[in-house]
Amino acid sequence: MRVGSKRIAIAATLVLSLAAAPRAFAAVRTTVNQVSQGLTCQCGCGLTVANCNHPSCSFSVPLRGEIEAMISHGETREQILTYYRRKFGEKILSAPTTEGFNLLAWTMPFVAIVLGAGFITLAFTRWRAAPIAPEKFSAPAGPPAFDSDLRRRLDNELKENR
Amino acid sequence: MPDLGKLCLAIALLLAIYSIFANIYGARRGRADFIVSARHALWAMCAMVTIAVITLWNGLLGSDFKLEYVASYSSTTLPTVYKFTALWGGQQGSLLFWTWLLSIFTSIAAFQNRRRNPDTAPYALAVMAGVAIFFLFMLNFVTRPFDLLSPVPAEGSDLNPLLQNYWMAIHPPSLYTGYVSSTVPFAFGAAALITGKLDDSWIRSTRRWAIVSWFFLTLGNIFGARWAYEVLGWGGYWAWDPVENAAFMPWLVMTAYLHSVMIQERKDMLKVWNLALIGLAFSLTLFGTFITRSGVISSVHSFTQSGLGPYFLAFLIAVVACYTALLIWRSPDLRSPAEFESYLSREAAFLFNNLVLVGIAFAVFWGTIFPVLSEWVRGVKITVGPPFFNRVNGPLALALIFLMGVGPLIAWRRTTADRLVRSFAAPVALGVAAGLIAVLCGIHEWYAVTGFSLAAFVLGTIVVEFRRGVSARRHMVSEPPARALVNLVAKNNRRYGGYIIHLGVLAAFVGIIGSSFFKMEVKKSVAVGDSFSIGSFTLKYLGLDEHENAHLEQATARLAVLNYGRQTTVMTPAKLFYKRQQQPATAVAIRSTPFADLYVVLAGLDDNGNRATFEVFLTPLVIWLWAGGCLMAIGTVVVMWPNVRERAALAVAVGRGRAEEYAGEAAPGGGR
Repeated sequence: MRVGSKRIAIAATLVLSLAAAPRAFAAVRTTVNQVSQGLTCQCGCGLTVANCNHPSCSFSVPLRGEIEAMISHGETREQILTYYRRKFGEKILSAPTTEGFNLLAWTMPFVAIVLGAGFITLAFTRWRAAPIAPEKFSAPAGPPAFDSDLRRRLDNELKENR
Repeated sequence: MPDLGKLCLAIALLLAIYSIFANIYGARRGRADFIVSARHALWAMCAMVTIAVITLWNGLLGSDFKLEYVASYSSTTLPTVYKFTALWGGQQGSLLFWTWLLSIFTSIAAFQNRRRNPDTAPYALAVMAGVAIFFLFMLNFVTRPFDLLSPVPAEGSDLNPLLQNYWMAIHPPSLYTGYVSSTVPFAFGAAALITGKLDDSWIRSTRRWAIVSWFFLTLGNIFGARWAYEVLGWGGYWAWDPVENAAFMPWLVMTAYLHSVMIQERKDMLKVWNLALIGLAFSLTLFGTFITRSGVISSVHSFTQSGLGPYFLAFLIAVVACYTALLIWRSPDLRSPAEFESYLSREAAFLFNNLVLVGIAFAVFWGTIFPVLSEWVRGVKITVGPPFFNRVNGPLALALIFLMGVGPLIAWRRTTADRLVRSFAAPVALGVAAGLIAVLCGIHEWYAVTGFSLAAFVLGTIVVEFRRGVSARRHMVSEPPARALVNLVAKNNRRYGGYIIHLGVLAAFVGIIGSSFFKMEVKKSVAVGDSFSIGSFTLKYLGLDEHENAHLEQATARLAVLNYGRQTTVMTPAKLFYKRQQQPATAVAIRSTPFADLYVVLAGLDDNGNRATFEVFLTPLVIWLWAGGCLMAIGTVVVMWPNVRERAALAVAVGRGRAEEYAGEAAPGGGR
C-alpha cells in the first residue's frame, strides 16, 4: 500500500470511529432530570434534587415524583421552577435568579476577567513601549548568570574540592 | 497511651515555638548554632507528632473506646482498613493527620536546606513552624484527639458509611498532601519577601514542592470525583459542592503559578504576580479547610463540620494580611525591567492562560461565597449550585483549552505570521474536521461541538510538537521513531511531561463534555423476570440475594445486561444498611467501556424483593475523565523525574563533589 493510501485508510478509520461513538450517546433528555437539576434538595445534603444521595430522602424522592406528574400534565421547566420558588422561597432554586442583587453573582466573574484582560493589555502596552537592551535581545535563554556571591561561593567550593 | 499522645502534642507545640525563635535569632545574629538547634527542634517536633499519630492509630485499631475519638468514629465490627482510615474520618483525627504531614514536610525542607539557602531557609522554616503552631494549638486546646470518655462505652458509633469506601482511603490523604505541601513554596516565598532576596532562587528551591502539591491536588480532586461517582449514587461525579470547590480552587491557582513561574525563570518578569499566586494558593487551602470545618455553607461533606470556623477564619485573615503587607512593603524592590514584543508570543499566551485560570478560580470562589453575601445583604437565603457554575465556567473552560493549544506552539518573544500558519494549519484543520463530524453525527449543542473541535485542535498541536521533536532527533542522531520518542521525552522531560499532562487535561475535558451533554437516564420498577431498556442495552431483573453480617445488611439485585440483544454481563447493584449508624447506603454497579458507562442504582425494593426499582444512567465517555487523571499523574511524574542532562550541567557548574546536593532542586528555566 502506498503511503498516501495508508494515510487515507487511517483517516477513514478515525472518522468512522468518531462517527460511531456518538451513536452510543444520541442526545435523549430526561426532563425530570432537567427540572430537578434546577432545584436544591432541602434535606441538608446540599445537592440538587436530581443528585441527592439519600436513597430514601423525604424531600427529593417525593419531589421527583411530583415533577414527573407535572411534566405529564404538560407543564414546562420554567412553570415548575416558578411553582416551587413560590412554595419554598428562593433557596429552592439551584442557581441565583437573574434579577436585582443576584445579577452580581452572574456578572462579577466576567467583569473581573474583563478587568484582568484590560490590566494585562495595559501592562503589555507599557512593556512594549519600554526600550529593550540590545544585549538582552540576543541573550540565549537558560540558567541565569551567577551573581558575585554565588561566584565567590563556587570558587571556594572548587578550591575545597581540589 | 492517650496521655502519651497528649504529652507528645504539647511537646511538639513547645518545639515549634522554640524553632521559630531560634531560626529568626540565628538568622538575624548569624548564629549557625541556633539555626542548627532550630532544625533539630523541627525534627523532634515531627517525631512527637508521629508518636501522637501512632498512638491514635493504636487506639483505633485496638477499639480503645475510652478515647472519645475512637468511640465516635470506629466500632469493633468496622473492617480493619477503615479503622486505619478513620484517622482522617473525623475532625480531630484529620487535623492531627494534617499536622503530621506538615511536620514531615517541614522536616524534609529543613533537611534539604541544611546547607542551601542560608539566608532564606531559616525564615521559611520559621513560617512553616508558625503554621504548625496554629494546628498544634488547635490540637492541644480546641479540638483534642485524645479526650477521654467516662463511662467507657462498650461499642463505638462507627464510621460514617459514606466514608467506608476504598476511594476515601486515598482521597483525603491525597488532597491533604496537596494542601499541606503548598506550605513549602508559600513559606519560601514569604521568606524571600522577609529577607529581600527576591530573585527566582525561592522558585527554584521549591519548584518540585509546587509540582508535588499540584500532583496531589490533581489526584485528590480526581479521587474525590471517583468517590462521588461510586458512592453517592446519582450518576455524576462533580456537584460543585462548596468543599469540592474548595479543593478545586487551589488546583487552579497552582496551575496558573506553575505556568507563570516559567516566565519569571525565563525573562525575570512577574515577580509580584508569582509571589501573589503562591500566597493565594496557600490561602485557598486554608479557605478550603475553613469551609469544610465551619459549616458556614451547607455541604455534602458535613461529616467534618464543627465549631472551628472562627479559628480558621482568624488564621486565614492573619495569613492574608501579613503576606499582603509583606508584598506591599517589598513592592518597590519587586519591579523588574519587563520586555515584551508581541501578543503572538508564548509569554502572552501564558499570561492569558493565567487570567483564565485565576478567573475560573474567582468564579468558583464567588459562587461559593455568594449565598453568604446574599444572606448578609438581602437577608435571603439562596443556593448557588451546578447550573450557575456550569454556565459561568463553561465558556472559560473553552478559552482555557484553546490557550492550551496555542501556548506550546508559539515561540517566546514573538512568532511570525508565516510560522504561525505553518504551525497551526494542521491542528486547525483537525479541529474543524472534528467539529464537522460532530455536527454530521447529529450533535447540535454548540458547546459540545465547540468542545470536541477544540479538543481535536489541541490534540493536533500536541501531536505536531511530538512529531517535530521526533523528526529533529531522527535527523540529528538517526534514531528509529520509537527510540527517538522515548529519548525526546527523557531528555526534555519538563517540556514533554507537560504535554502529557495537557493530553490528560484534554482526555478529562472530552470525558466531561460527553458525560455532561449526552447522559441518558431511566428509572423503572420491574418484577423478577421483567426487562427494560436504555440506549442499546436491555436489562433483565433476575432476582435478589440477601446477606447479613455483624456490620451490615446487604440486598444485592442481579441484572442480566444485553447489548444489542446479546448478553454481555450480569450487574449487581446493592442496597446496604449499616447497623451501628442505622444508615442506608447504595452500592452502585458500573460497567465501563471507552464509549460509555452503564451505571445502575438499586433505588428501592418491594414485595420481598420480587419487585425492584432501578435508576440507570448511560453516561458517554466518562471513562476518559479517569484516564485523563491517570495521564496527568504520569505526566507529572515525567516532569519531576531527575534529568540526567540537568545533573551533568550542574556537576560542571558547581563541581562534582556538590552536584548531588544541588541537583535535587535547582532546575534551570529551560523547557517550556
